[in-house]
Amino acid sequence: MLRLLERIGRGTATAVAALGALLALGAAETGAQGKPPAPLHLEGSAAPMPWARYKGWNKATWDTYNTLAQRDLTKPAGKEIEIKGSIDGDAKKGKDLSFSRARGGGCLSCHVMGPETLELPGNVGPDLSEIGKQGRTDQWLYNYVYDPRVYNAESSMPPWGAHGLYTEAEIRDIVAFLKSLATPATYKNALDDPTKRPLPVEDRDGLDPFVNPAAERIDPGEKLFAAVGRAGKACATCHGDAKKTFAEWANTMPRWEPRLKRMLGVEEFVYRHARATTGESYLMQSAENTDLSVFLRFVVHGKATRVDTTSAEAKASLERARVLSTVKVGQLNFACVDCHTPEKGALKWIRGQYLGEPKGQITHFPNWRTSRNEVWDIRKRLQWCNVQVRANELPPDAPEYADLEFYLTVASQGMPWEAPNIRH
Amino acid sequence: MAADVKPRIKAPATAKKGETFEIKTLVTHEMESGQRKDADGKTIPRKIINAFHCKLNGREVFSAKIEPAVAANPYLSFFVRAEESGTYEFTWVDDDGSLYKAEHKIAVS
Repeated sequence: MLRLLERIGRGTATAVAALGALLALGAAETGAQGKPPAPLHLEGSAAPMPWARYKGWNKATWDTYNTLAQRDLTKPAGKEIEIKGSIDGDAKKGKDLSFSRARGGGCLSCHVMGPETLELPGNVGPDLSEIGKQGRTDQWLYNYVYDPRVYNAESSMPPWGAHGLYTEAEIRDIVAFLKSLATPATYKNALDDPTKRPLPVEDRDGLDPFVNPAAERIDPGEKLFAAVGRAGKACATCHGDAKKTFAEWANTMPRWEPRLKRMLGVEEFVYRHARATTGESYLMQSAENTDLSVFLRFVVHGKATRVDTTSAEAKASLERARVLSTVKVGQLNFACVDCHTPEKGALKWIRGQYLGEPKGQITHFPNWRTSRNEVWDIRKRLQWCNVQVRANELPPDAPEYADLEFYLTVASQGMPWEAPNIRH
Repeated sequence: MAADVKPRIKAPATAKKGETFEIKTLVTHEMESGQRKDADGKTIPRKIINAFHCKLNGREVFSAKIEPAVAANPYLSFFVRAEESGTYEFTWVDDDGSLYKAEHKIAVS
């Protein structure tokens, strides 16, 4: 907008046309610095509606479990189940279930389980190698696997039985295996020991297209910026050289948008602003939207993240995000904090993958996903998180994701932007 | 398509005579295999880069025949021995006959 005002000051024809468009939108409100707010298309969703999950993703839905938007679906924990006598399940079957990646990830994702532990066990949960001689009752072991919330409301462990991930008979087999564990694990090498495993180092050059295929999207993004839209104008008509006019923009997003009453990120802004100015409809998650997002992040490469955290709206958003980060969602019943705060799972291993803390998690988006062969923005990554914990995802423009994006950005305040980049 | 094709070369600008060095080449291209079908069940016609040539001062030093199984944005890297200064000329041959070209100069001492 500042650039637009400068152009109006110079009285160029394009600026007059732009001003006309601005007035036509009835944008009488003024922004924080007294500037008229950027024209935005305020109606409807910024994403394809009704929202349908991406091709190639897990097609299942989990309608009886919490989502980030609807948080009263998951049934609360039941009462402790009484076990009469001792559990005489099949320890061999229990071991196979505990070690299988095919069922909910397998216990080894989070636990070391004795000398027969397979390669690369995780350490989010305690080492269970000697659980069999720690004096736990069969009833306690059974209930802890069936639904740990019976003993610990804050447990990070999924309610394997209560949420239908293992049958009662399977849990009896797993308990039989747990009772047989009495010897510390031995490791073939330091890689297998989660307490000694070398931490991942990320030093790839994200701007080198030989390294990062997402770097190939910078040029198409720049071309779109200069492309004349249906309304006869390009982004560049009002904004000139993005490398100058947007040199300090994407690193200040998301920001509160009073007309929409939500935090507005780069991708949603691109859709709503372009729709209101150039006439183009770059819906979130379209190739054009992502290309423009890559380009607008590229022009702030190396610039420090500096979002406004002082306004009442920013503080309210952070508080909403803090609450969202503790909401248990999906069949696996995970909250963000279960995996991504150092007090719980962060800075530990989930099988061979290292769980990061919120700091530094956003400054490399959009990025190339080596596991998916495509460029993702942060919203798609958040949707992926939801689907991975078996929770229905929200549309990419959901205000819940907007608050979480802001929360992640604040956690990286001061860190340089490194997008586009490349991750697993 | 041709407008979106962008060849890239990564190779040293100087080399010592007799030294072996790596040339990395990357070109943006959809590499449509001819095996896929569109939403209506019709085969999407094949359109790939089917050949690559690298010449030094007009003499071919490396070439490749490229098949439909090669993924989008083909990345070829190969090693050459520094014999003389000059210009490497790279050519990618598209199914539709288009030629995409790039050059790289090297000084051999």
